[in-house]
Amino acid sequence: MRRYLLGRLLRTVPVVFGVVTVVFLLIHLLPGDPVEIMLGESAVPAQKEELRRELRLDRPILSQYASYLTGIPRGDLGVSFRSREPVLGEIARRIPATVLLAATSITVAVFVALPLGMLAAMRRGKAADYLSGFAAMLSLSIPNFLLGPLLVLLFSVQLGFLPVSGYGAGRPLVLPAITLGTGMAALLTRMVRATLLEELRKEYVTAAIARGLPYRSAVARHALRNALVPVVTALGLSFGAVLTGSVITETIFSWPGIGRLLIQAIDARDYPLVQGCVLVIALSTVAVNLATDILCARLDPRIRYE
Amino acid sequence: MVRISRLSIFFPVFLAFLALAACAQKLPIDEGRMVIALPGAPVNVDPRVATDAYGEQILQMTHASLVGRDASGELVPDLAERWETPDPLTYIFHLRPTAMDGQVPRQAGMPRVLEPRPGLRFHDGRPLTSADVRYTFTWILDSANRSPHRGLYRHIAAIETPDARTLVFRLSEPFAPFLSTMVRGIVPAGSPARGYAPPVGAGPYRIDDLSPDGEAVLSAYDGYYGGPPAIRAVTVKFVPDSNVRFLELKMGSVNFTLNGVDPDLLPAAERDGRLVVEEGPGGNVTYLGFNLLDRALSDPRVRRAIALAIDRETIVRTIWKGRADLVSSILPLGSWAHDPDLPAVPFDPARARRLLDEAGFPDPDGKGPLPRLRLTYKTSQNEVRRRVATVIQEQLRQVGIAVEIQSLEWGSFFSDIKKGNFQIYSLTWVGIADPDIFHHAFHSRSAPPDGANRGGYSNVEVDRLTEAARSEPSREKRREMYRQVQRILSRDLPVFPLWAGRNLLVRDRRLAGFLLTPDESYASIRAMRIVRDSSTPPTGSRR
Repeated sequence: MRRYLLGRLLRTVPVVFGVVTVVFLLIHLLPGDPVEIMLGESAVPAQKEELRRELRLDRPILSQYASYLTGIPRGDLGVSFRSREPVLGEIARRIPATVLLAATSITVAVFVALPLGMLAAMRRGKAADYLSGFAAMLSLSIPNFLLGPLLVLLFSVQLGFLPVSGYGAGRPLVLPAITLGTGMAALLTRMVRATLLEELRKEYVTAAIARGLPYRSAVARHALRNALVPVVTALGLSFGAVLTGSVITETIFSWPGIGRLLIQAIDARDYPLVQGCVLVIALSTVAVNLATDILCARLDPRIRYE
Repeated sequence: MVRISRLSIFFPVFLAFLALAACAQKLPIDEGRMVIALPGAPVNVDPRVATDAYGEQILQMTHASLVGRDASGELVPDLAERWETPDPLTYIFHLRPTAMDGQVPRQAGMPRVLEPRPGLRFHDGRPLTSADVRYTFTWILDSANRSPHRGLYRHIAAIETPDARTLVFRLSEPFAPFLSTMVRGIVPAGSPARGYAPPVGAGPYRIDDLSPDGEAVLSAYDGYYGGPPAIRAVTVKFVPDSNVRFLELKMGSVNFTLNGVDPDLLPAAERDGRLVVEEGPGGNVTYLGFNLLDRALSDPRVRRAIALAIDRETIVRTIWKGRADLVSSILPLGSWAHDPDLPAVPFDPARARRLLDEAGFPDPDGKGPLPRLRLTYKTSQNEVRRRVATVIQEQLRQVGIAVEIQSLEWGSFFSDIKKGNFQIYSLTWVGIADPDIFHHAFHSRSAPPDGANRGGYSNVEVDRLTEAARSEPSREKRREMYRQVQRILSRDLPVFPLWAGRNLLVRDRRLAGFLLTPDESYASIRAMRIVRDSSTPPTGSRR
């Protein structure tokens, strides 16, 4: 396992290197000059040249790239053009909000998907199965930019239970987490149902029931555990999507996360901040996927990592 | 088997959890707190470097300037109680009494109990003197500090402080708009620029907390020279989604937003008994820019034909729901230099076709599908702007001009405009404070990056007038020069001014005293109060 982990970590390096390189090139290729955006139109050309020199944007792009790459191992991601704050600090300020929202929405998704998926599988072809399928399709069909305001309208404006927007671990978290978690819950519900149905058809489940194990125990203790392996893999993969795809939810609920920061950085052509955000998202995705693989091995002892 | 009933209790339990999580909510206004919603978060709240509108709006509440603006945009005393201009190169400002001006008796006729004189002080108690003002502008002018405002003050040759209350600005050349550049928040001497930690100010509110992308928490500053504000607590929430801003207003968790509700949602706000919608003239002028280096558009007849083919009234009525005023100049309607007698361009498609014929663009196939000419129209991805572009595309099609709309992400769009990579574009001039904008936007030497003459307009008379006006100390003479400039521009149409969106305030009806100004100033928040009587007097034209 240790060798496997080391290998995975080493394989992370070219992935992150590739992501950093592609983003560096793309953001520099985009039209729009950060100096112009920062200084506005009242600035005189000499002032713009001065700033360009100071931000080292006057250097050849390869030299800028080399400086950026050498800074990464030291934890130096540069200074944000727009706020003049170190990029690492900017991102660190947003990370708790992003992790909180991502973790809560995934938890919401799991807590909804597991019972509903199990129910649908165990009551296949019955009303509960159709209802769960209908609910999943409905949830997948409603985009976040519509679901969010609808939830706000119901729970905040009509019922007055929850705040419309804001940031916090309590009540302000409920609606953004549900908005972000609903689509994921729908997907997972269908996945749990499908994988569990497949397991339920296998002989070991029939044998367990034949030996007198109650159906519920056979499902919960044996079939579900095996059915969860692909579900956990899907969860890990969707974590990256949650990190980057939460922009709409963050915008609707004024949630100060990394998704919104990335969009603002792109708008301002804040090269160091864009690169920093993408680097952190890439690293997080790789780390979560690694954790997912380890968790899968725990769930299914047949999985061996060499 | 798991029975449905067991799992189906999940949802009621979940709803019950929500209900338990909810507690009796008291609205902020019931606690004496005003909550303002801004459509975005400020990048910076330091008057020396802030350039975005949201930062400027917060600074209007927290930082006092040498001079301010009244409701009509006229310059009025703020920290400086008066000023004089002995010659076009010298500006002398006299500060209000500062907290260092000694001690005075508390009350006439009473025993001489001495206490510090109420004067100019920063939020942290430090007295505000001429040295702080000099520091603020010297900091901006220091190239090491990379202030985006440095270019604005490039005419300053020296700043002298003969005493704690007097400042002398010496200019390198006459620059009539100089006084308007003095609307800039003052910070204490020695204040470093610290990103999200703004320096203290001397305005009516102090910043207690500022979270990026979250909110700014302000509290009343009792030491403000103009007297403590009546509303003791103000929260500025950054709510980017316009629907959510409206829902926050409906719920009462936000009770004030200026230009924060889409025109489509205003009828719903007007129907809400708790809210009041106010409307006033706006100062932001939307215009069509033409590339005068383009073969077709270099002909003024083609530009006029385009202007004549656009039915602005219909666009204002349908897209803006009537909440915009047609304009003939890029200068805001309330500006002292605005020419009210400028001829308006009417909607006249027949004349537009005739002008196109004269300009050498006849209709090639009568009522057939072939256009007289093809043009590209660049705009941002803003939804309203895209809708406007679509309507203009259709209106120009009616006179035989085929328009291709290119809706670009803001950075790419603005980059193209500044490089002259366009035929027609649409933009809005925001916050025009001085008619010197004509020099910036139309002088032949103001092509980017030296200015905003993006279309390559060149007119010797406009050059002469805008140069003379910026060094002319007499306002009357300047006014006449700028009126001549506006008449020439109205004839040449290097840009076609379309409309100025009206300023729209939606507020809780218990909030009173806000003065709706064309420049969207938040300065009058210090004069606001919360009234019990819901029938508050309107401050603009109430609807």
